[in-house]
Amino acid sequence: MTGFDFPGLLAFWGKRSDDILTLVGEHLLVVAIALLLATVIGVGVGLLVWNSPVGRSLAVTSAAVILTIPSLALLAAMIPLFGLGWVPTLIGLTLYSLLPIIRNTVVGLREVSPAIMESATGMGLAPGAVLLRIQLPMAWPVIVTGVRVAAQLTIGIAAIGAYVGGPGLGQMIFQGLSSLGSKNALNYALTGTLCVIILALIVDGLFTLITRYTTSKGLRA
Amino acid sequence: MTFEAVIERDVSVAPAELGVRRTRFWTLRRVVTPIVIVVVLLVLYLWIQTLTIDSIMARTLNADYILLRTREHLVLTFVASALVAVLAIPSGIIASRTRSRLLRGTILTIANIGQATPAIGFIILLAIIWQIGFQTALIALVAYSFLPVLRNTMVGLAQIDPNVTESARGMGMTPGQVLMRIELPLAVPVILAGLRTSLVFCVGVATVATFIDAGGLGDMIVNGLKLQRFPVLIAGAVIVSCIALLIDWLASIAEDLLRPKGV
Repeated sequence: MTGFDFPGLLAFWGKRSDDILTLVGEHLLVVAIALLLATVIGVGVGLLVWNSPVGRSLAVTSAAVILTIPSLALLAAMIPLFGLGWVPTLIGLTLYSLLPIIRNTVVGLREVSPAIMESATGMGLAPGAVLLRIQLPMAWPVIVTGVRVAAQLTIGIAAIGAYVGGPGLGQMIFQGLSSLGSKNALNYALTGTLCVIILALIVDGLFTLITRYTTSKGLRA
Repeated sequence: MTFEAVIERDVSVAPAELGVRRTRFWTLRRVVTPIVIVVVLLVLYLWIQTLTIDSIMARTLNADYILLRTREHLVLTFVASALVAVLAIPSGIIASRTRSRLLRGTILTIANIGQATPAIGFIILLAIIWQIGFQTALIALVAYSFLPVLRNTMVGLAQIDPNVTESARGMGMTPGQVLMRIELPLAVPVILAGLRTSLVFCVGVATVATFIDAGGLGDMIVNGLKLQRFPVLIAGAVIVSCIALLIDWLASIAEDLLRPKGV
């Protein structure tokens, strides 16, 4: 049982603000890279399979299976292949992000009204051009929502990545666990957890802006 | 199309659903999942048979140890999920009955913040503040899956067409009857989707419970890593993944069976 000592926590923050900021930065970086990779892969897969029932259900089902696997299991299973460090965390986070992104890409592309696609074809656009210049921009807000869900997911999972030597705030949480019983245990774990929550909320807010500024001008409400 | 609507749908719909629902009962995925699980476990077994097992590995790679850990894992998962179902669904019903917008808004906000909380941080914090062990893990699991189920119950009840409840009242049903015979059955798919998510989630968080000495299959993963015996690690990871897939599969069947016929 550790008593809660608020001035102690503030002093802890003051003393370790550099460490905390570094870890926050690392956390953001690993999530951002994973999301970027997952967006490229997920949207690519979505563009390939959106119109084929078999491909579609295959892609979405396999991504759903990955998401079902417990994160510690997936991250740990990659150690024999990739060793400890950033790589297993990065790959794990990318894999977990795929489901929301692929699913939303497929849903978004399919939701575009056939009448619009037909008029595009009528104006002389090739099928590929219809896909990239009409459907993709119209599906974009839905796709970004998928990335946003993936972001919330991966910010939390990244904390477990610290166990396989990954970067970020998880290190602080595990530091709390390993110093269990000492005065700073609570400070470490609490700081790590709080920072992850705040990060998740800020990133969620950022996505409102990202959606607005990456959506084609004509589609903005 | 408003963004809010898209977000709401995205969060509340279970991961496996995509457009087509309620086609055939025995779809390809239904049949394939258990076969894949059996094949994967078989391959794991055969692979381990080919390895030379040293004394350290023998301590964990035997049937007794694995069954014990699996049982711990399942007990943790199912007890937590049962508690959540018993606690969160009634709370969700009560919360959705109140007229107070403030209360409902507060609950949904807390639910959102709860979702942003990393499971590992929460469970370790609880262990530091209170104690390590099974009970702590159980409470962490319940507290953690409570909010999604509560929220899905509220969303499920809120999405019902008001015309339907109004006609039920017009037919002379009491508020209790409307709730039991109209609203709850209509909300069942969304509530079950929440429970299914929470079950799968519990399997995952129960893996992390090893860090606070609560047992479970996470022990195998962590031991394998600590002792540099990768087969132990792989076996633990594969078994726990198979359990997660199996539970998700069973939950998807329950979802189809329990959904009211007319919906």
